[in-house]
Amino acid sequence: MADALVKAEFLGEEEKGTTKPFVLWRPTAKTGLMGWLTTVDHKRIGFLYGISALFFFLVGGIEALLIRLQLAVPNNSILSAQQYNEMFTMHATTMIFLAVMPLSAAFFNFIMPLQIGARDVAFPRLNAFSYWVFLAGAIVLNIGWLTSDGVPNGGWFGYTPLTTKAFSPGHDIDMWVMGLQLLGVASIAASLNFITTIINLRAPGMTMMRMPVFTWMTLVTAFLLILAFPAITIALVELMFDRLFGTNFFEASNGGMPVLWTHLFWVFGHPEVYILILPGMGIISEILPTFSRKPLFGYPIVVFSGASIGFLGFGVWAHHMFTTGMGTMGNTAFALATMTIAVPTGVKIFNWIGTLWNGHISMRTPMMFALGFIWTFMFGGFSGIMHAAAPADYQQHNSYFVVAHFHYVLIGGSVFALLAGIHYWFPLMFGRRVSEFWGKLSFWVIFIGFNVTFFPMHFLGLNGMPRRTFTYDSNMGWNSGNMVATIGAFTLGVGIAIYFGVMIYTFFRGERVTSDAWDGRTLEWSLPHPPPEYNFRVTPIVHARDDWWYEKHHRSEVAKERSEHAKAEASHGIHMPFQSIYPFIAGVGVLIGGIGISLVDVNTDPHVLIGKKLATCLVGFFIFLTAVYLWALEGNEGYHLHPEQDSHSGGGSEPKHH
Amino acid sequence: MSAPAHASPAGEHALEESKFQIFVQIAMILAVITGVEIIMVYMPFAHAFLFWTLSILSAVKFLFVIFIFMHLRWDRPLCTVIFFIGLILGGGTMWALLQLFGAQASVPLSAG
Amino acid sequence: MSSNAAAGTIDHHFDPTTSTGVPNKKLLMWLFLASDCMFFGCLISTHLIYRLHPPPGTPAAKDVFSIELTSFSTFILLMSSLMMALAVNAIQKSNLKSLRASLLMTIFFGCIFLGCQVYEFNNFVLEKHLTITNSILGTTFFTLTGTHGTHVAVGVLWLLLMYVRSFQPREMDKHPWWFIRNVFHVVVAIGTILLGMNVVIECTRSLQAHGFASGLAAFGQAYFLRLVALAVGAGVLMRLARPGYAVAFDEKNAIDVEMMGLYWHFVDIVWIVIFTAVYLLEYI
Repeated sequence: MADALVKAEFLGEEEKGTTKPFVLWRPTAKTGLMGWLTTVDHKRIGFLYGISALFFFLVGGIEALLIRLQLAVPNNSILSAQQYNEMFTMHATTMIFLAVMPLSAAFFNFIMPLQIGARDVAFPRLNAFSYWVFLAGAIVLNIGWLTSDGVPNGGWFGYTPLTTKAFSPGHDIDMWVMGLQLLGVASIAASLNFITTIINLRAPGMTMMRMPVFTWMTLVTAFLLILAFPAITIALVELMFDRLFGTNFFEASNGGMPVLWTHLFWVFGHPEVYILILPGMGIISEILPTFSRKPLFGYPIVVFSGASIGFLGFGVWAHHMFTTGMGTMGNTAFALATMTIAVPTGVKIFNWIGTLWNGHISMRTPMMFALGFIWTFMFGGFSGIMHAAAPADYQQHNSYFVVAHFHYVLIGGSVFALLAGIHYWFPLMFGRRVSEFWGKLSFWVIFIGFNVTFFPMHFLGLNGMPRRTFTYDSNMGWNSGNMVATIGAFTLGVGIAIYFGVMIYTFFRGERVTSDAWDGRTLEWSLPHPPPEYNFRVTPIVHARDDWWYEKHHRSEVAKERSEHAKAEASHGIHMPFQSIYPFIAGVGVLIGGIGISLVDVNTDPHVLIGKKLATCLVGFFIFLTAVYLWALEGNEGYHLHPEQDSHSGGGSEPKHH
Repeated sequence: MSAPAHASPAGEHALEESKFQIFVQIAMILAVITGVEIIMVYMPFAHAFLFWTLSILSAVKFLFVIFIFMHLRWDRPLCTVIFFIGLILGGGTMWALLQLFGAQASVPLSAG
Repeated sequence: MSSNAAAGTIDHHFDPTTSTGVPNKKLLMWLFLASDCMFFGCLISTHLIYRLHPPPGTPAAKDVFSIELTSFSTFILLMSSLMMALAVNAIQKSNLKSLRASLLMTIFFGCIFLGCQVYEFNNFVLEKHLTITNSILGTTFFTLTGTHGTHVAVGVLWLLLMYVRSFQPREMDKHPWWFIRNVFHVVVAIGTILLGMNVVIECTRSLQAHGFASGLAAFGQAYFLRLVALAVGAGVLMRLARPGYAVAFDEKNAIDVEMMGLYWHFVDIVWIVIFTAVYLLEYI
């Protein structure tokens, strides 16, 4: 079944480590529950992120369908106003933080180290820790479904004063705050790891300008994450202090300013949307060259544009706030900055078109998603430029025009690219290829469903339909637009269902592929499908951009070099990191602490010194501290593998001709 | 995970010796600057002059610590670049927020 | 992986196993510090924004702050930074004694800083009537300086754990109880430090309230048991500091001390910014 990821195929001898006391034993299980809980393998961690992301993608999708059901006809009563608020809050929070971001993280984890010729990331245990804390955050965000407070309902952006204690007294907002804090910790830890890996663990000869564009976008996204998340961390801390301790950060009656929350949130929120799109752009920049059988057009410019988008993204946040009364200078400055950021984005699109131009186009499923991406992302870009003009935005703000814009860039952009990436890298990860017919069918249903849902929303917005309102009257002229959008939404749902069904079927029963599934260009395709635990038997020596393509066309030269290099490396074997249970235990501590802060009631009995809330937090903190301490003490030695010399599907297959 | 590399050359050994002295000297300078800042606050200087002098003196202390105590002077420029990215972004965001909240349109109605 | 390097043969500036020569842990810490710049930047921004147009009824910061206490604690933190730099320098030359002494001095100065902050917070709340909830100044001041203080406390804990780690035996098979000893060492150290800080602060309070002679007498009477416990703790720590066996801590571990040093220095430079932006600027 899933033996692809479960067995390490080329396991050789293991060295004996020195004797250590029981708390510092190193787990060695490669299968079963312990194998997964103690894994430090970037491929397994990527798989965990991917499975979690796809699960929450379905949850978010159901939340969306409920929204569309409620809005299908005027004056509907499927959802109450309160339930509707919960739906749009959870749909957005789930899709952004629990679906798109972890799906990107799945690819960062699995693919990026392979693309730079590394055996794993720089800090394997920290990598595992990131995943477990992500899971803790996902649990804290969703645990409201099981409690009387319900799930968060203050919008995914949590504007004050609505989210202050006075207007949202329940625990739901506390769960939103703590959930996001935990997700922030996970994201920052993972990003620190990825940046260190990309900068420091590249194979010999892999200069920065020879790295695949997907790796470049991983690097830029990781920088965005570590620099943007602190802003929302501070905003959330301030909101939490207001709610828990009665401070005055956003308390207008005592000198606070609710608009400060809006600023701090969007200082994070705008780079966040580039965090959502840049990995997708990286994936597209891999797929287009592969299926045009041409190198990426203007590689240095594409890389530079990606970095510019990241950097400029920090200077445009207040374009989400044109209507908050910042004054003329403020509005003008941010409007100009926003228009500037369209330039590098447009440059990328022209370079993608340049890649396709005169290429030998192969219309396989990943290519279709990529082409669909270019088209729909461009539409999202156009509506974005319209928003950038502050006076026009006064009408568009808070209307369905905005909803149309961001779904075009988020679904038409990020999701299409990620779905393309799943198709593209599925053979590498699982050794099986999706059938062309079913893949293309899922694409078309998704593409049509998506456009039918969101194109009418441009007109709904321009005709004045506001966001986040649970119903509308029948004489507003919005009836047909909403009905069409709902039909589109369910079509999109069918498309996603087909896509998922096909994936699951292929995982168990799909056509087997053991090497170089698409006649690829980058290093990850040189590995057996699926890759062995240690990735590369011999560390590759890189000669050029698209190094696998170079290797396939300079076989003898590279083979000679490799056998010499292999002899040099053979003596000390392949160094592998030990597995560890402490990242998981630290995650458990963090989960308990998060639940303690958000869910448990404050103690009101003056006779009780340590109430349930404080006790829960202390227990969680103590578990976390102990786990980190043991993690530090167990050390970072590893063991050595000496895989067999003869392979059955090493990286030396003949180039395929399609 | 640094592997034992080459033995330190004599010149670097001398540098190691003097590092101790450099650290102590810089610490003394930092203490003196802090003292100067305190004294200045009590003297009847103009507001603008005090503001700029205090800011510059603090910036000097800041730079001494990062380039000498935190070793940036002797490390690869990559570390300096990385830190300055965060510093400039943080400082820039602070500047922009202060401009926004300092603008006439943002003065709270209840402000004194 | 367990090669025995003679002192001075590791190049602490260059790691040949990496693409850039910068050790992974050092790179990680610099990246984290860049992130922490944004973190403190936003928090300091919040404080400064609220100082732009203080609402009527806000207490005058000048009347609340004690510039003498704050300058003293600034000087203390700067000295702790010096000690930290010396600690890194020492371990890079495998000088264990010097490392441990410098680490202890860093911890000592760090605890003085924390003690001053505890004293300051108490004074503001009880005597100056500035609390975290009764005004926007209180809210931003206590949150900002409290967050910085938490960073200092985390640093002190890290320093302590590093100090105790330097006693890990080289031949662990011969010392089956070393892990228990390690935990015991940490617990006693933390307990002694907290007790010591409590004793010093209470003694200061007593001296302030009752003058020198009678203050000391009153304090000695009320806190006799705690003083005894403090002496016992100190004695245990001194005994634990002479292990009598070879330890597994030398210049190979310098990168960990250096990484911790970067964190500690960063906490110091954040304080330099806070001292100027929060305290000094209120006086002009």
